[in-house]
Amino acid sequence: MRVQLFATCLGDLIFPDAVRDAEALLRDADVDVDFVERQVCCGQPAFNAGHRKAAKRVARTFDKAFSRDHPIVLASGSCATMASHYLPKLLDIEPYEVWELSSFLEHLGVEVASTNTGRTLAYHDSCHMLRDLDISDAPRRLLEKSGATLAPLERSDLCCGFGGTFSVRQPEVSVAMADDKLAAAADSGAEALVTADPGCLMHLTGRANRVGGVPIVHLATALRHGVGPTSG
Amino acid sequence: MIARGKLADPRVQEAIDSSTERLRSHRIDAWNELDDVEGRRARAYEIRMRAVRDIDGNLNRFRSALEARGGHVSVCASAEEANAYVVDVCKRHGAKLLAKSKSMATEEIGLNDALEAAGITSVETDLGEYILQLEGEHPVHIVAPAIEKTKEDVARLFTDVEGVDVPPVLEELTASARRQLRQVFLDADVGVTGANFVVAETGTVVTVTNEGNGRLCASLPRVHIVVTGIERLVERMEDLPHLLSLLGRSATGQRLTSYTHLVTGPRREGEQDGPEELHVIFLENGRRNLIDTKYEEMLACIRCGSCLNVCPVYRKTAGAAYGPVYSGPMGAVLAPLLVGLEQAPSLPHASSLCGACTQACPVKIPLHELLLELRSDLVEERTAPFLERLGFSLWSVAWSTPIGYRISTRLARLGQRWGSRLGPGRVWAGGRDLPALARKRFRDVR
Ligand code: SF4
Repeated sequence: MRVQLFATCLGDLIFPDAVRDAEALLRDADVDVDFVERQVCCGQPAFNAGHRKAAKRVARTFDKAFSRDHPIVLASGSCATMASHYLPKLLDIEPYEVWELSSFLEHLGVEVASTNTGRTLAYHDSCHMLRDLDISDAPRRLLEKSGATLAPLERSDLCCGFGGTFSVRQPEVSVAMADDKLAAAADSGAEALVTADPGCLMHLTGRANRVGGVPIVHLATALRHGVGPTSG
Repeated sequence: MIARGKLADPRVQEAIDSSTERLRSHRIDAWNELDDVEGRRARAYEIRMRAVRDIDGNLNRFRSALEARGGHVSVCASAEEANAYVVDVCKRHGAKLLAKSKSMATEEIGLNDALEAAGITSVETDLGEYILQLEGEHPVHIVAPAIEKTKEDVARLFTDVEGVDVPPVLEELTASARRQLRQVFLDADVGVTGANFVVAETGTVVTVTNEGNGRLCASLPRVHIVVTGIERLVERMEDLPHLLSLLGRSATGQRLTSYTHLVTGPRREGEQDGPEELHVIFLENGRRNLIDTKYEEMLACIRCGSCLNVCPVYRKTAGAAYGPVYSGPMGAVLAPLLVGLEQAPSLPHASSLCGACTQACPVKIPLHELLLELRSDLVEERTAPFLERLGFSLWSVAWSTPIGYRISTRLARLGQRWGSRLGPGRVWAGGRDLPALARKRFRDVR
């Protein structure tokens, strides 16, 4: 089994550790991982803001970089949505086989190391992963397989308030939404909040750094290393 | 028509939060009773789109059917035209008092103001609308207009109006409202209602309410005027039950709304009740702009409010953060289409694109995708600010090659300490720490 890893821009630039963990999880599962150096970004930031020409320009880097010979795997629900749903329409090209990391690991039926034995975690559903890709069980099952107990997170489906440019167009609303999410995580009794999306991770971490809260951890990191005092 | 980036005050926010949450969970419970949810949504979409795609044919069929029953039909292009028509009918009948039931179409055209200017008193008879009218406010929710008011707010208001102490108890409040409104129904010369659906085939106007006030407005006064959008039409009577069942479930979690009122023409000879005259005004007011465009599906909306109740942005800002009439995701899509994008350029951005609206919509309107289209139109029409367009252009040129990507991210690393001082970085940093660019990119260390 061979896959092409898409780091995504946020993964590449801000959360390289999470992407490394994603790659390691794939290798642990005996998957050959290619990293295509030509990759840049899927164009989602511009696409969601309505700048289609700009989005096309950037999305073409995706089309140039990746082949259709092997599945593309990435550790971001929203970029997976862009790459699988919107990008092919935007560029008028054949769709790619795109997998969000947790759904791919589940699909392979991998065993997960017991990295979270005895830990209690909460999982935040990122919007596009939940509603466009319909993936909500896979990340939870993987976390449970890693030994974690999942604390129910109140309204885990509510948006964390990131929303790309929304976060700076409506900053007060965006921050208030993050506060609700952080409060729900604190109330859940979990030791950490896990998300499969670098966008949510960036937003919630940025807010938690100001007002406190449980650590927020990318799913790949949570699975690979477990959630402990050293992670997050 | 600006979506202010402001939060509603905490008390309002709490009221909205709990009310929308209640409506949301009632909706989910009511839908959970049904099998084949997707099939039902698809059927509702099909019924609505079939009607929307033949609005003129349906209008003609409706007109023939209703006129044959002695009703009057008028299609009005603008708010002014529609208001003038209502005022004209009132004047012809020497009407002084008008009883109104809840209608978003009349909110849209500002009917009450037009009537007042003509010296006609219009009283809102829906409890929520009545409360707002007393307060001089406008609805913030298309289904539950006074959603942000608490029992205590209403008790204070009614105590003032009645001059006797009205306790904040639901039964007492409704009893008080009944005392205040009963005489209005009896004295009104004209009744105005909206329509939830209009059946073309039979010439039937369908109104649903939970208070029965719509039925009184439509049957007690001598004249009944219906104001509704041209898109409310459905083709056949057999289309109606399906939509009614989904409307009740989606709006309030009811299998059927308490009162479903079907009117086909004015009082006929030998009948005991009903108005002597019936007028149905179909409002265009920008709706034709949507026909045969990528936005056509928005005309399928049945105004159930589900998209408001699930919207995290609506819950934080309350309706007042949207346009003056339609709020939440449906308002963020519809208002710019009705009044022109340049009049409401921030509404398409009043969403985090979480997609909860699209998922909740009983008629499958892809609301968040329509918002994406509107955003794209804003850029195409150059309504989006110049600096924003320049920013995205420069960014996209840089990121169109791996080398440009590398250079730009190196520069960004050098400049990141100033990131929180200007532009979007500054706005972000108002409430959140800016993310730090990693010392080495993933690709440089793997
Ligand atoms: S857009 Fe859909 S969910 Fe929103 S009010 Fe209209 S029908 Fe209901």
